[in-house]
Amino acid sequence: MRGLPAIAWALASCAAMVGATMFAADSHVTASAQTQQRTDVAGFKPAIRRITESQYRHTIADVFGPSIKINARFEPEKREAGLLAVGSAELSVTTSGLEQYFALASSIADQVMDEKVRATSIGCEPADARKADSNCARAFIKRVGERLFRRPLSDADIASRVATADKGATQSGDFHAGLKLALTSLLIAPEFLFRMEVAEPLPGATSRFRLDAYSTASRLSFLFWDTSPDSELLAAAKSGAILTDAGLQKQISRLAASPRLEDGARAFFIDMLQFDQFESLNKDAATYPKFSQAVADSAREQTLKTLLNLLITRKQDYREIFTSNDTFLNRPLAAVYKVPYASSKEWTPYTFPESSERSGILTQVTFLSLFSHPGASSPTRRGVKLHEIFMCQPTPDPPADVDFSKVQALANGTVRTRLLDHMTNEGCAVCHRASDPPGLALEHFDGLGQLRTTENGVPIDVTAEINGKKFTGAQGLGRLMHDNADVTSCVVKQAYSYGVGKAAGYRDEDYLAEQTAAFVKAGYQIPKLFEAIASSPEFYTVSVPAGLKVAAGTSKATP
Amino acid sequence: MTTRFNRRSMLRGLLGGSAVCMGIPALDIFLDGNGQAWADGAKLPVRFGTYFWGLGLTDTPTGGTRWVPTKHGAGYEITPELQSLAALKDKVSVFSGFRAIGDGKPNLVHWSGHASILSGSAPGVTGSFDAPSFDTRIADAIGGATRFKSLEISPSGKALSYSTRTGRAFATPETTPVSLYERVYGEGFQDPNNPNWKPDSKVMLRQSVLSAVADQRQALMADVGRADQIKLDQYFTSLREMENQLEIQLQQPEKCEACIVPKPPGEGKKSASIDVVNSNTKVMARLLAMSLACNQTRVFNCVHTPGSSETYIAGDSKIYHQYTHDEPTDAKLGYQPMSSKLAGMVMQGFGEFLAEMDAIKEGDGTLLDHMLVMGFSDTGYAKIHSLENIPVILAGGANGKHKAGQHIATKGESVTRISLTAQQIMGAPVGEFGVGAMKTSRPITEVMA
Repeated sequence: MRGLPAIAWALASCAAMVGATMFAADSHVTASAQTQQRTDVAGFKPAIRRITESQYRHTIADVFGPSIKINARFEPEKREAGLLAVGSAELSVTTSGLEQYFALASSIADQVMDEKVRATSIGCEPADARKADSNCARAFIKRVGERLFRRPLSDADIASRVATADKGATQSGDFHAGLKLALTSLLIAPEFLFRMEVAEPLPGATSRFRLDAYSTASRLSFLFWDTSPDSELLAAAKSGAILTDAGLQKQISRLAASPRLEDGARAFFIDMLQFDQFESLNKDAATYPKFSQAVADSAREQTLKTLLNLLITRKQDYREIFTSNDTFLNRPLAAVYKVPYASSKEWTPYTFPESSERSGILTQVTFLSLFSHPGASSPTRRGVKLHEIFMCQPTPDPPADVDFSKVQALANGTVRTRLLDHMTNEGCAVCHRASDPPGLALEHFDGLGQLRTTENGVPIDVTAEINGKKFTGAQGLGRLMHDNADVTSCVVKQAYSYGVGKAAGYRDEDYLAEQTAAFVKAGYQIPKLFEAIASSPEFYTVSVPAGLKVAAGTSKATP
Repeated sequence: MTTRFNRRSMLRGLLGGSAVCMGIPALDIFLDGNGQAWADGAKLPVRFGTYFWGLGLTDTPTGGTRWVPTKHGAGYEITPELQSLAALKDKVSVFSGFRAIGDGKPNLVHWSGHASILSGSAPGVTGSFDAPSFDTRIADAIGGATRFKSLEISPSGKALSYSTRTGRAFATPETTPVSLYERVYGEGFQDPNNPNWKPDSKVMLRQSVLSAVADQRQALMADVGRADQIKLDQYFTSLREMENQLEIQLQQPEKCEACIVPKPPGEGKKSASIDVVNSNTKVMARLLAMSLACNQTRVFNCVHTPGSSETYIAGDSKIYHQYTHDEPTDAKLGYQPMSSKLAGMVMQGFGEFLAEMDAIKEGDGTLLDHMLVMGFSDTGYAKIHSLENIPVILAGGANGKHKAGQHIATKGESVTRISLTAQQIMGAPVGEFGVGAMKTSRPITEVMA
């Protein structure tokens, strides 16, 4: 549908001004297909973001059932301001990525149209399975398309897919083969692969904007459940209820009360804790013979189980992630932690004793091994990542031309001695004074996370000092993190940035301070934090992106 | 589709840029006296690739160079860290003394160097380029007639490529021999030498899938901001490339003399240790070489090890990157012995990569004679993240367009001159390259035939 007739644009702008009720009327528009409005171009698109691998997987399982197998390699994601959710706004689909999406889409379509399941998955029967059937194809494309595109399809979108289905059916003498092609084309469409949010004018304002009803539904759904909106959310968008306070609260409560909140929280923590880095985690086999892919996968799962149990199931104080020793183990991990494994189950709850020197997630194999070298621990990397991930304090790149001439390679002693050399160089010390102490406090754990007390036969000193506060070992560090106000405000900032897909900036400072105060008051509970953020108008406020002009009083944009 | 393959159609195809392999039998009457060009002057296909390795080579301020030859021009001597290139010396040009110029921008460690070489512009932030990488311009010039416009590989296992059209989204590489094999020789592969070729009716159905999406282009582009337009543009470029792929699959492939469809590789090892990275490089180089010989692509980009390389010697607790910074300079030798040893091992990967290209006989020479590979790193002397004297190598004869076997030495010329040279050798329509102090319209004519 190239070059919409002017009347359609006028209709669209009009709909945007009036608000959501006009969107609701869309499916009843009786005008001819030529002039019918497109809901998806009613307002400008403030930002588009590629959906993540887990959002893709969740959406497919929701729409077509959990038995659909997804076997593909997804394009790498990109981290900005500490989050892939923010970096996703920079990503596109490269040629090899599109090939992958295409192959995956074909495989999904094959499974959906499989003879055994097609009766239920399609929802209608063709009059003759050897011929095209536009009506059945249209019904399927409309229903599934709305779930995949997260808003009703335009007439043009439907027409082009029905044409694909019909042509394919006629050419191959098989209705289902034709419908497969139509579904494949929905699954590789930019409207599915990118989250395309649409703006509308804020009621009562002329040049301030918020998300439209369908985009609001998407933002909620992705934050709470890490998936595309379900039919109830889409219905609330269609009726416009989601744009009312009561309607919004109803959806937030429903999403937060569901067990699927675990999916949303899991996706958030995978992103915030940078667990995507497990993809390329390597350990030297000679130095760490216990390391294997099974250990890496288990470690990732251990930390996620620990977090979800503590923060979502038990709704505990977020700060306890640094002090609680309640966790879960499986057999490969028990070997690394040197704990006997007696359970016959795959996973079993376990609480580390005081003597283990462990203290919360910083002392689990995940953090300790991810932020080490292949053949050694690294106090600096651990310290840098601890500041970046949990305190939102990124460390600048080291100076390019630093003079290391005083630094000597040490075959003896501990890493502490080597790092002390950095402390004597002022150019290095500025950062290393902050990064190294927490890392040195974790030195009783080697590059895989195994407990040790000596290095090269020398006892390892795990005392450290930050801003005049002395502490000892991982447990001392855990308590320090627990009480650090920056740790609290950081998780609030990251949850907001994650939800809106944009790095929080100085304009957001007051808002974030309010949200942090509310988070503290609510007992540092993560589900309450999600709810509070989703209840605030700021979560849905958008602005005009560079390169677009918006006509006064509308959200209709022109380049 | 009947017998399209005759002399006339083949010549027309070659001139039009659609047919690329030499036909069988390549009757002598078609070739000129040198066997490098068709009788009417059209050249055999030329391929282009980039090969990146991390952490530079050793050239210390105290004079302990381990790679810069003393002799300039032809007949340069092989230095310790270039040892792995000895066997191919006459097909390799070495460039020393070239630098990336920041124009007041900071030296972004392990990023500014190769970003400058590839995009011609010193980048503002790590992780992005300020302009497309130049390999995409070459791919646009020569890659249109093959199934893949370009192929990316990353044998260290990290999903990392520096090839970009937008400066933001980078290409997704194949990270294992198995995934490279499946991409090229899996679904959609057509053996060019299969005598029983028939067009696959499924291909036309797949085309209709793409056209339904392509129709929405204008509507989607209308109301997004500038940054999102670039992203959507990239998406639709990818879509066009897929359409092109399908279009090519409907045409009978020209026979390729050197093409022998390889057997599937075994599951490679996954490790960052240098022995494993080099062995994966070799296996992937062999698959890649055959992809070129079988006319599946004409352009590739390889990242052997990333800028801040994690590679190490198996069993050693220190990684190469740490050695380059921490290892003291040996007073007697004048350089860092372990770092230099590792640099030599990293270059071993490059030597073996090129040897695989040279192992395939094609026309009167080898595949390497009909291609140009630009090898380079992110830094000069890694200990201080130097952007001076970044090692760059051009390998391969490019059908006689590259006067290989020379050492070109300068004092502080911009690296973009070499990038421009590569683009012009490959026939990309580029008169100047780079911005600011790195802007140049002067290719290095000494190596151009």
